[in-house]
Amino acid sequence: MKRIGLFVCWCGSNIGGVIDVPKVVQEASKFPGVVFATDYKYMCSEPGQDTIVKAVKEHNLDRVVVASCTPRLHEPTFRKTLVTAGLNPYMFEMANIREQCTWVHSDDKEGATKKAIALIRRALAKVSKVEPLFESHIPVTKKALVIGGGIAGMQVAIDIADNGHQVILVEREPTIGGKMAMLDKTFPTLDCSA
Amino acid sequence: MVAAAQHPNIKLMTYSEVTDVKGYIGNFEVTIKQKPRYVDHVKCTGCGTCTEKCPTKVTSEYDLGIGKRKCIYINFPQAVPGKPIIDAENCRFLKTGKCGVCKKICPTGAVDFDQKEEIIEEKVGAIVMATGFDQFKWDEVYGEYGYGRYPDVITGLHFERMSNAGGLTGGKIVRPSDGKEPKVVVFIKCVGSRDEAKGKTYCSRACCMYTAKHAHQVLDKISDSSAYVFYMDVRTPGKAYDEFYRRTVEEGAQYIRGRVSKIYQSGEKLIVVGADTLLGRPVEVEADLVVLASAMVPSEGADKIAQLVGCPTDKDGWFQEAHPKLRPVETMTGGLFLAGVCQGPKDIPDTVSQASGAAVKVCALLSNDELATDPMICQVDEKLCSGCLVCKEVCPYKAISAKTITERIDGKPVDRIVAEVNTGLCQGCGNCTVACRAGAANLKGFTNQQVLAEVDTLCQ
Repeated sequence: MKRIGLFVCWCGSNIGGVIDVPKVVQEASKFPGVVFATDYKYMCSEPGQDTIVKAVKEHNLDRVVVASCTPRLHEPTFRKTLVTAGLNPYMFEMANIREQCTWVHSDDKEGATKKAIALIRRALAKVSKVEPLFESHIPVTKKALVIGGGIAGMQVAIDIADNGHQVILVEREPTIGGKMAMLDKTFPTLDCSA
Repeated sequence: MVAAAQHPNIKLMTYSEVTDVKGYIGNFEVTIKQKPRYVDHVKCTGCGTCTEKCPTKVTSEYDLGIGKRKCIYINFPQAVPGKPIIDAENCRFLKTGKCGVCKKICPTGAVDFDQKEEIIEEKVGAIVMATGFDQFKWDEVYGEYGYGRYPDVITGLHFERMSNAGGLTGGKIVRPSDGKEPKVVVFIKCVGSRDEAKGKTYCSRACCMYTAKHAHQVLDKISDSSAYVFYMDVRTPGKAYDEFYRRTVEEGAQYIRGRVSKIYQSGEKLIVVGADTLLGRPVEVEADLVVLASAMVPSEGADKIAQLVGCPTDKDGWFQEAHPKLRPVETMTGGLFLAGVCQGPKDIPDTVSQASGAAVKVCALLSNDELATDPMICQVDEKLCSGCLVCKEVCPYKAISAKTITERIDGKPVDRIVAEVNTGLCQGCGNCTVACRAGAANLKGFTNQQVLAEVDTLCQ
């Protein structure tokens, strides 16, 4: 039997100010397999992540759903939390109830609450079917290419080279320096640009 | 410039272009074209005799058309590398086979008219885009400033070339039309910037400051001069920036809040007609020189190089960062980073900061011996695969190839083709899973079964 943990984030008032979070937790936790469900002001914070780690251990959870912001922001954060809790980081799913719900439906609190429940049930359905995934490894060529030899390209090349790595600096013009080399004194210190 | 050229860890390739990029984070294969310089830079000592003797003079691109250069040339005396190239389009010998003066007089025999372009292949782990900007082509749209008809209406970059002590005029500010020193100089800001009708919606961010600097330089270098600045706003958000602007005002630069509606020639003078919107009255200035603060636009050819390396661009053609606040030097393509104005207009301090930021990201990547790959990539179920290879056609990362497998059917070995995924190249986009009619291609972490379970739940 699957043992799912559900964690709903308030994101301060970003989510909590629009939807009825306790009601969302109550409704979504009826989904088959949910053995633990709770909410917290900022799930990504240290106490928020500790809540997840503790719950995984206490309730022997084998997979986790966090309902909060876009996975672009905090999916990597929560995957690491799962590793801390001793789970495979891919036994995880996020429900985006901020960008895709409360931010766009702030004028309809009841509707947003319903939508949040639906989005979380979607994530719960997905997480019921996930399997552990494992990363593979690829080698790294320790050399960088910088395209453009103006002030940006030169600075980047020098900084990388100073760190001991090889750099190829490609400039299409006959000489480097770009626009900067064309300038006279530069603001605000009026020193030369060469 | 010298630091970059002399660094033992930097291989500098000037007059070169990247023509192809293959591969993925940690493992890019790039092709670089070295254009023919017709001068062997190993033999050349940079003595400059060839440049002196070359009989052909053409307009200098580096001085933005104001001055002349020879056909075998260096952009400016302190340029890096300090060795010349031959401009093949205008060289008499390369065009007609007659002349060859430079070859005859070169003491080291460095001039080589038979030089061909070279193709160089390199393997790199990371790529940084630092392609910079060009100036907005104001003369194509701003009729009120004369469409570039008046020689004494120039841009800020022209002004820099004149003001530069190493430039054509040796640092003297003159009128391009007659070489006379201008006494009244008018500056116009936001030419192409913040102009939805004719230019770009964005602010170019450096112009308020360099215009203040130019006004200061006019007042400083030319006695009895006056500087007028037409502006929409003065934006000086940087360390010691507002102080610099205040100083220019205190030195006597006259800032007029309003736009210029017309410039016309009257004898030797340029009549600048505008409005002072703070005083609510029209203004007319008899100017000797007009300097336009033209907008920054992506460097010519930036769109092509973006396509080549797989770098997304925004509506104005600037390279798109992965996140506007949290990942400003990364792109959505792994191993590809951004530095400087190619990502959006910025001044030198911001460019240098961003470039160092990009360097740290590159160093962090290159400090790994190997990289963990995202396991959410495609896998092919060989039992279901019919070998049609539609997936191969739709894959944007060239990650799928054909593989022959041998099966035993009724005890006999039978060969059959199936699709195979290169786990290093696959980015997990899912194109193949949608195209696969047999349902053999499946994205790990987004399998057909998982997606259908989600759809079923949402439809309940």
